[in-house]
Amino acid sequence: MRRRTFLMFSAATAAGAMWDVAVEHGAPGKELVRFIPETKLIPGVTVWRPSVCAQCAAGCGLSVRVVEGDAEVVRKGQSGLIKVGLAKKLEGNPGHPVNRGKLCARGQAGLQVTYNPDRLSHPLRRTGPRGSGQYAEVGWEEALGELHARLGPLASPSATSSLAFLTPPLRGQRRALIENFLSGFDGSALVSFEFFDDRVLREANRLSFGRAQLPTFDLAQSNVVLSFGADFLGTWNSPVAQSLSYGTMRQGRSGVRGKFVQVEPRISQTGASSDEWIPARPGTEGELALGIAHVLMSEHLRPAAAAGSAGRWIAGWSDGLPEYRPEAVAWKTSVAPETIRGLARQLATHSPAVAIVGGAPLAQTNGLFTALAVNALNALLGSVGKPGGLQFTPQLGSIGPAAPAKSKSNAANLSGNIQTLAQQIRTGKPKPVGALLIYQANPVFAAPPDWQVKEALVKVPFIASFGSFTDETSSLADLILPDHSYLESWVDDLPESGAAEAVLSLAPPALEPLHHTRATPDVLLDLAHRLGGPVAKALPWKTYEAMLQDAYTPLRHLPGSVSAASDDEFWSKVKDQGGWWSAGPVPETKPTAARGRSQPVKNQEPEFDGPAQDFPFHFLPFPSQQFGDGRHANLPWLQEMPDLLSTAMWGSWVEIHPGTAQRLGIAEGDLVEVSSPHGVLRAPAVLSPGIAPDVVAMPVGQGHERYGRYASGRGANPMAILGTKTEPETGALAWAATRVSVRRIGKGELCLFSVGPLEWGAKQLKR
Amino acid sequence: MSRRWGMVIDLDRCTGCEACVVACSAENNIATAGESQAAKGRAIHWIRVERSWEGEFPNVRVRFRPVPCQQCDAAPCEPVCPTYASYHNAEGLNAQVYNRCIGTRYCANACPYTGRFFNWFQPSWDKPLQLQLNPDVSIREAGVMEKCTFCYQRALVAESQAEAEKRPLRDGEVSPACVQSCPSGAMVFGDLNDPASAVSRLAGLDRGVKLLEEVGTFPKITYLARES
Repeated sequence: MRRRTFLMFSAATAAGAMWDVAVEHGAPGKELVRFIPETKLIPGVTVWRPSVCAQCAAGCGLSVRVVEGDAEVVRKGQSGLIKVGLAKKLEGNPGHPVNRGKLCARGQAGLQVTYNPDRLSHPLRRTGPRGSGQYAEVGWEEALGELHARLGPLASPSATSSLAFLTPPLRGQRRALIENFLSGFDGSALVSFEFFDDRVLREANRLSFGRAQLPTFDLAQSNVVLSFGADFLGTWNSPVAQSLSYGTMRQGRSGVRGKFVQVEPRISQTGASSDEWIPARPGTEGELALGIAHVLMSEHLRPAAAAGSAGRWIAGWSDGLPEYRPEAVAWKTSVAPETIRGLARQLATHSPAVAIVGGAPLAQTNGLFTALAVNALNALLGSVGKPGGLQFTPQLGSIGPAAPAKSKSNAANLSGNIQTLAQQIRTGKPKPVGALLIYQANPVFAAPPDWQVKEALVKVPFIASFGSFTDETSSLADLILPDHSYLESWVDDLPESGAAEAVLSLAPPALEPLHHTRATPDVLLDLAHRLGGPVAKALPWKTYEAMLQDAYTPLRHLPGSVSAASDDEFWSKVKDQGGWWSAGPVPETKPTAARGRSQPVKNQEPEFDGPAQDFPFHFLPFPSQQFGDGRHANLPWLQEMPDLLSTAMWGSWVEIHPGTAQRLGIAEGDLVEVSSPHGVLRAPAVLSPGIAPDVVAMPVGQGHERYGRYASGRGANPMAILGTKTEPETGALAWAATRVSVRRIGKGELCLFSVGPLEWGAKQLKR
Repeated sequence: MSRRWGMVIDLDRCTGCEACVVACSAENNIATAGESQAAKGRAIHWIRVERSWEGEFPNVRVRFRPVPCQQCDAAPCEPVCPTYASYHNAEGLNAQVYNRCIGTRYCANACPYTGRFFNWFQPSWDKPLQLQLNPDVSIREAGVMEKCTFCYQRALVAESQAEAEKRPLRDGEVSPACVQSCPSGAMVFGDLNDPASAVSRLAGLDRGVKLLEEVGTFPKITYLARES
């Protein structure tokens, strides 16, 4: 080694490598450049910056630990090292009213989104066939130029084809921005897609309570909690807020310990904490809720009228639900009449009590009925809008100047779903889809095969994605313009639930962008400017920051967490605090009265996809503790986090009752084949005592074909064998209504965490 | 009087969400083993959530509890170490000096809680995941034992901060990563020598039990039993 090379090597090693793993930076022969730092941080001193968690829709506030360190970057075509602020740890923002300093496992793993080795670092243009994943790097100017050239013709009033924008359900100014963007395209559609989308519950809440919104639970003051299938301590709604509140319910009050009963055919992470597990037959949860209501009324514990208008959607409510005697309900639900009576008496005598419904019970063909039944039960118990019950987080939906531009005839269709989009692509009606923009959603992975999402999307002449990763959907794109990670972006969110006050989660970027990416909102604003005309008019802002500031500074005049003498002071305080929350009443969009329905919803028997004689088992795909709907499967921390109940890591599995398994000759770890009328998958078996003998369950999230090195080709995707039955009133997918058969194939492999458990001494748990 | 760090884990609050598990990996630079190594039992989790099933369908109950190193007062892992790599520090912690460790694994053998983990391979991070590494925590090489430290690096930072401000440490000022993240508030950390601290108060509750109390290790973690 020459002296010069040696010195370069040691300098780089000493300065750049705090850990031996980073030594490769100084590989001899590689020219090492050290750029002038772009940020001013004191070495070794931690700075905490606010951000907003984007791992699920709860909208929790983050505190990001930022420490100066070396990152390898490319500047003007030259690669080298630069001192930047690096995120070292994510914590909950202690002042944030939703998560109060706490954070869940998926939130903790968010660092690995930003630092993921498979993150796209620059714009890409497709070079191979669609879906092949073959791309070549292009510059931003070129990419934006191409996007402009493709969208330009669609923005003209005489355009013969339309634009579709596929996103997960969005809130805040990101939604307003995309709506305004689309308002300049005749006949365009905003298609929102999320697999576990709670559409049924929002509709039920609109009918029962006049709010199409997920509820917020005041568990901290509840004495009895009865949950119908809701994984409220794991993945559903606002899990951190609900866990906080649950902890207080159990041991946060002197002399009172709330009781918790879970109704579900398979013990979930949430069900594991219950005092009593009731495995009612799938699809009969509404029946059970009304059986309880019947007892409350017939034993004069509550008068029917107490339910108010929430009771009117249930036939026979005002007559005391004569068809729901516990004996009749028991026959359908397989829950003993005495259990039903006991539950009713507990709920009535230990108020405040609250019922929760979510997840699989609403993913049946009678989901809306089930939700309305539980809502009516809550109303009967007097737990709506009361301490210890459920309430609705005030919504700031109508605040700010950036409400969607209302334009006469060319109003965008803002409520499209993936099936109508696929339909439009196939038929070309009302207009052919000329271009599709994809932001974050991945319906090719998370949709039943018969929807033929992929087959439809590939027919679109031009697809652009803003994804940070190539996944099953974004790999169909012709052009990828990767977004910053959420820690590198301006983030705003208006949480739907999880707090008693109205909440705006908002934060500036906590980090400098690591790669050659651009924030998608800024890309859209730039594009709007280039397109000119009505699009530019609807989006006059130069930056997303300016748009956010315009939208949210009017909050200064409302009673809230920030007091400021000027708009500038207000804005700077909101940025420091990681948002704004109300301290008094806020103007809300008027609750919408129940529209389009005057008759009760019929109690239909649940329908299942697949005849029972050929497909004897109910198939329950459940959102996994690690990956939710699959979006976190590319994060190694979550892959290696053992599942609470099975201890499985790095794969998927099928949960089967031990008795059923014995009958089918299946042992723990055997490879089994699960077949539905729509597909077949294979995964190792886990024998679980906490599942009904006629149910088999599988975690959702694995089985990615293309989602980076940690997720691709791993495990099986239960969505790939689902049928397409829907809840007819809302059109929501009944994802828990497929039936399957199971057979043993041979030996399989399970990766289990084998440390522990230790002996459980008699004293350790008073049970 | 010196501090004696201790923890209380309330099993009636714990929901088994495993936020503690990921928080610990993130704070302590625990390398991911990957599927093939993990299948050989080589995945490292300084804190794990144990579960056990009870009863038969439909009368089934699950119980679970988070288990990190119990930081025993009479720690079986300490006297067996031929190189004094595992020792008792002034604040009562069972500490591990990584560069003294020669990997005999006697300590892991002696620990009744299986709270100690051996590095079977050199840790590595696919670039740029190394940017997530916490500069306050050293990386352990292949052949070295490692374990929960109660995030001692955080205590050191808080202690020097308090010293600079010429004030005593406040109760609750130091939290290991697991405690700080815990969504249901099931974990509480503090000084057991301070009778007014939250952890001292909770550790004295009737529900308090120690893991494998009968083996005489005097753990500094108290579990509060579930009430149903």
